[in-house]
Amino acid sequence: MGLEILIENVLNALAAGITIGCIYGLMCIGLGLIFGIMKVVNFAQGELLMLGMFASLYLVTGGGVLAFLGPFVGPFVGAILAGPIVFVGGALLHKALIARVSGLRTAGTLDEGHFGQLIVTLGISLILQNGGLILFGSTPLTVRTPLASRAFEIGPVYGDATVFLNKARLIACAVAIITAVGLWLLLEYTRLGKALRAAADNPTAATYMGIDVERAYRIAFGLGSGITAIAGGLMATYLSFSPFIGLDYVIIMYSGVVLGGMGSILGAFWGGLTVGFVQQCSALVLPPQLQNAAIFVVFLLIVMLRPQGLFGRSAERA
Amino acid sequence: MTALLEIEGLCVAYGGLRALQDVSLSVAAGQFVTVVGPNGAGKSTLFKTISGVVRPTAGRIRFQGNDLLALSASRRAHLGIAHVPEGRQVFKTLTVRENLEMGAYPESGRAQWTRTLERIHTLFPVLAERATQLAGTLSGGEQQMVAIGRGLASAPKVLMLDEPSMGLAPAVADTIFERISQIHREDGVTILLVEQRAVEALELSDHGYVLETGQVVLDGPYETLLADDRVRRSYLGLSDA
Amino acid sequence: MRQGAAPRLRRDLIALAVLSAAYLAATLFVTNSYYQLILTLVPIWAVFGVGWNILSGYGGQLSFGHASFFGIGAYVTTLALVYWDLTPWLGIPLGMIVGGVAAILIGMPTFRLRGHYFALSMLAYPLAILYVLQYLGFQEVSLPMHRENPAAYLEFTDPRLYTVVAVGLLIAGIVACMLVENSRFGLALLAIRQNELAAEAAGLNSWLWKMRAITASGVIAAAAGGLYACVLLVVTPDSVFGMLVSAQAVVVTLFGGVAAVWGPVIGAAILVPLASTLNAELGNILPGIQGVVYGAAMIGIMLAAPEGLFWTVRDAVRQRRTPAAAPRPQPAPPSQVRAAPPPPATARPARLHADRPLLVVENLSRAFGGLRAVSQVSFSVNAGEILGIIGPNGAGKTTLFNLLNGVLSADEGRAELDGVSLRGRKVHQVARLGVGRTFQVVRAFPRLPLRDNVIVAAYGAGLSDAAAIAASEAALAKVGLSAQADLPAGQLTNKQLRLMELARALAGQPRLLLLDETLAGLGRDECEDVLDVLARLRDEGMTIVIIEHTMHAMMRIADRFVVLDHGRVLASGLPRQVVEDRSVIEAYLGKKWLAKQEA
Repeated sequence: MGLEILIENVLNALAAGITIGCIYGLMCIGLGLIFGIMKVVNFAQGELLMLGMFASLYLVTGGGVLAFLGPFVGPFVGAILAGPIVFVGGALLHKALIARVSGLRTAGTLDEGHFGQLIVTLGISLILQNGGLILFGSTPLTVRTPLASRAFEIGPVYGDATVFLNKARLIACAVAIITAVGLWLLLEYTRLGKALRAAADNPTAATYMGIDVERAYRIAFGLGSGITAIAGGLMATYLSFSPFIGLDYVIIMYSGVVLGGMGSILGAFWGGLTVGFVQQCSALVLPPQLQNAAIFVVFLLIVMLRPQGLFGRSAERA
Repeated sequence: MTALLEIEGLCVAYGGLRALQDVSLSVAAGQFVTVVGPNGAGKSTLFKTISGVVRPTAGRIRFQGNDLLALSASRRAHLGIAHVPEGRQVFKTLTVRENLEMGAYPESGRAQWTRTLERIHTLFPVLAERATQLAGTLSGGEQQMVAIGRGLASAPKVLMLDEPSMGLAPAVADTIFERISQIHREDGVTILLVEQRAVEALELSDHGYVLETGQVVLDGPYETLLADDRVRRSYLGLSDA
Repeated sequence: MRQGAAPRLRRDLIALAVLSAAYLAATLFVTNSYYQLILTLVPIWAVFGVGWNILSGYGGQLSFGHASFFGIGAYVTTLALVYWDLTPWLGIPLGMIVGGVAAILIGMPTFRLRGHYFALSMLAYPLAILYVLQYLGFQEVSLPMHRENPAAYLEFTDPRLYTVVAVGLLIAGIVACMLVENSRFGLALLAIRQNELAAEAAGLNSWLWKMRAITASGVIAAAAGGLYACVLLVVTPDSVFGMLVSAQAVVVTLFGGVAAVWGPVIGAAILVPLASTLNAELGNILPGIQGVVYGAAMIGIMLAAPEGLFWTVRDAVRQRRTPAAAPRPQPAPPSQVRAAPPPPATARPARLHADRPLLVVENLSRAFGGLRAVSQVSFSVNAGEILGIIGPNGAGKTTLFNLLNGVLSADEGRAELDGVSLRGRKVHQVARLGVGRTFQVVRAFPRLPLRDNVIVAAYGAGLSDAAAIAASEAALAKVGLSAQADLPAGQLTNKQLRLMELARALAGQPRLLLLDETLAGLGRDECEDVLDVLARLRDEGMTIVIIEHTMHAMMRIADRFVVLDHGRVLASGLPRQVVEDRSVIEAYLGKKWLAKQEA
């Protein structure tokens, strides 16, 4: 009997790990665009996640999306629509504040403008967190869909052991994967996507090509914000959130991006997936509060032992 | 001959450092003009000023009669000026093909893209072979070809090259020079070449300028310059001797 | 003590005494308990900022997680009181010790990281501690009250006495910071912050100094936390380990002025009352107002006055005092600078030092992937001679220097200074062996006077204070900059900056100088002045290896040349010979040139 329970727990943890991992992967892609490709240190990425959650919430409840599409589909559509909203917000943030401490202005300086970026984005983070507290209050909210309490059952696979695939998380996972693929297609195959990559790779050379690098950076920042926001909206379909939730996830995001290797979108996704996976599996042995502490330990180990990540593409001559 | 690119009295200073002093030169349509000079002469500064990455403190630059200094750097490429920068500066994380596509970013490049790409492949077959390879993994000579191909991709009116032989083995550099000459002869592209290797550069060109510590000390048709011993002395620091 | 520190220190201490007295006098008149609390909190947060300033302001290692130390101080003090009935008068020092130990433990692994990774990792520590504490159930711990003899437990019925203790702590913290700033500790930190590589090349062991900085920083922060607990009488994990706490250290110092003793004080004095008052007045309708204020202050100061109010105001005041367009002090006319004219070239005696090579390099190689940057390079340098390393762009000259002084490690070969191997040593160790180095791009500390820019290397060489001052004065005299010793480096001309780098290298009392493009960007006359200095140094017995592009200059000054091309030695020997060597001409001007000349 004990073995069955163990197997059931492990299998469910694996399933949760993969589904949640994909959502974390999407979240990390957002940061990967900003930190991994543009090399801009954005301390406020967790708050962008949070904004995605709140945007989705207001679209669904306030904007009537829920009424229109019903509680099953509504929250997911809300999550997707949160993307463009936060895209615009992110682009504005970049134009007003972040562009002043990054891009061509700071390219080639001793620390590539990171000091300024750290401080400015820390300030933005504080304003968003506490501004959120003012606007939304501190009671945990959610855009929970009824699907969050339903699950597909697979099994029994071993004795009585059954694998439960939470429906909401499964759909969120699917949306996450589709969005990630969509972004990848954008970056790989469209003229805009290639221009973004070129601007991040070598802003001076990109200027020679006639690319407006400031604008490219703004769009990339907006994209990174929007993508993370969508992940936030998806997470909101199965968990509750408050304005301070960003802090929990900032370290997770950086762990994922660094683990996956800087400069690689695909890597960021795999990195996020791995971190999410590890976190869910750690739930087998650790209580909830310690799970995040464990992630921090993992982050420290990664940056100290293998800062180049596991999956990064090496563009240097072998 | 109509002057395509005209530079008058250009002065550039970084802090207290005077990089260029009262430099004037002109490039006519269809010409091959070379600027040579030893290290630190200000050749790259000249180029960066034309591309817009560096702002001059005085002087004028006109391209086809337009005041170039009034335009931002990224706008200048759209006028038909292609820049092959010093040190190649390829997009290391993009493939060879994507690098070339970036060269074709301006409208002029996209219009005749298929034909231009074919021409680039004829000139540099290795770029076709390695189309999907990351540019950062290529050898120095191959990266130089990518950079030149990128410059051609926009079907430019003027192709500017900044020390294309730098860091390359002599034999490879010779191949590069041959190609540049070919581009000039066969496609009629106007070329402005900056080089440290005086002879190879001067031989190919119609007209040359010699820069030393930020000033033009000599200019004329290439036969005159080649025969002038001042060039050697300038390079080897024997000017005062 | 740094040079010129005594009068500055005296002035600052007097200011401190006056301000403290005024502040305490003001507290006597305040009766509203809320404002009394603010008056107590301002110095506490200022102390926290002072601690942060030492590591992140002077030291430049930006930490977003100083709440670790603050919280440790708070919890140790509280728990010691709760479980052992230990009075906070002893509990706070205990907290400081634990804070210091924690700083060492945190510093050791985390200093392997740089820049933003360091900042992010520092953030992780207090958050992790927060989670653990929440898990352990330490939700809220109150400090027990003591009816009899409350003062012995740092409890006061009159809240103004808390302010007195807080001001006392701030005075102690500021004095500590002043001592740091005016000693080699402060200068070493500033140098590391400005350019760690140059600091290492001057002989400073940057890891050691950073560890000292984080320990001092942690101890002071823990003291602030301990007192905070006593004032508030209750600690929760979030109130002492939370994000806002870490942010508070950052914002008060950034706002007030980084790397300035008064910075955190100014910042705390402005921001704490502002945020607290807003919180009190509007906290009900706008619960997060404090965070918003801090965030806005951070962004505002970063965009408008990135160094903080103190520096911005001080610069503005200074500019208004000195009349407009005050001419930069002219360097002394050349005739006064040169001690004696260098002997004309032909009269230079032939130097026979073949029996005393100081630096021997044999088959030194280094490859990056497939690219052989330096390949089988061999040469030797005799004591008292000037060796010129020349070659076309990209030949590997700077890489060679980087191999010699420890910035890069060689793949094979040997490099020995007077028989002692240079391979495998860290940069500051090579400097200690007697190798001085200048870099292509001059790294100055613009706000510091010239003499401080130079004396860093003397500290790096391990000289005592008095000996260091003597060494830097001597170095300045050798390069002819004694008259400018008190000028801020930011006001120096290009030539003076180059000479400053030279003086800095000399102050470490080296036996060998590695000069990388010292003449870059200099006009003809300026070149001459610098060359005269180099000639004089050589005549006094210094051994110099110099990379240069300005050929005519090299022809005048170098005793011998080594020509590098594509990482290999192409030719070596007397300058006239080398310049007429076929292979050298070919390397610079190409095969075809030679062919034409010979045709």
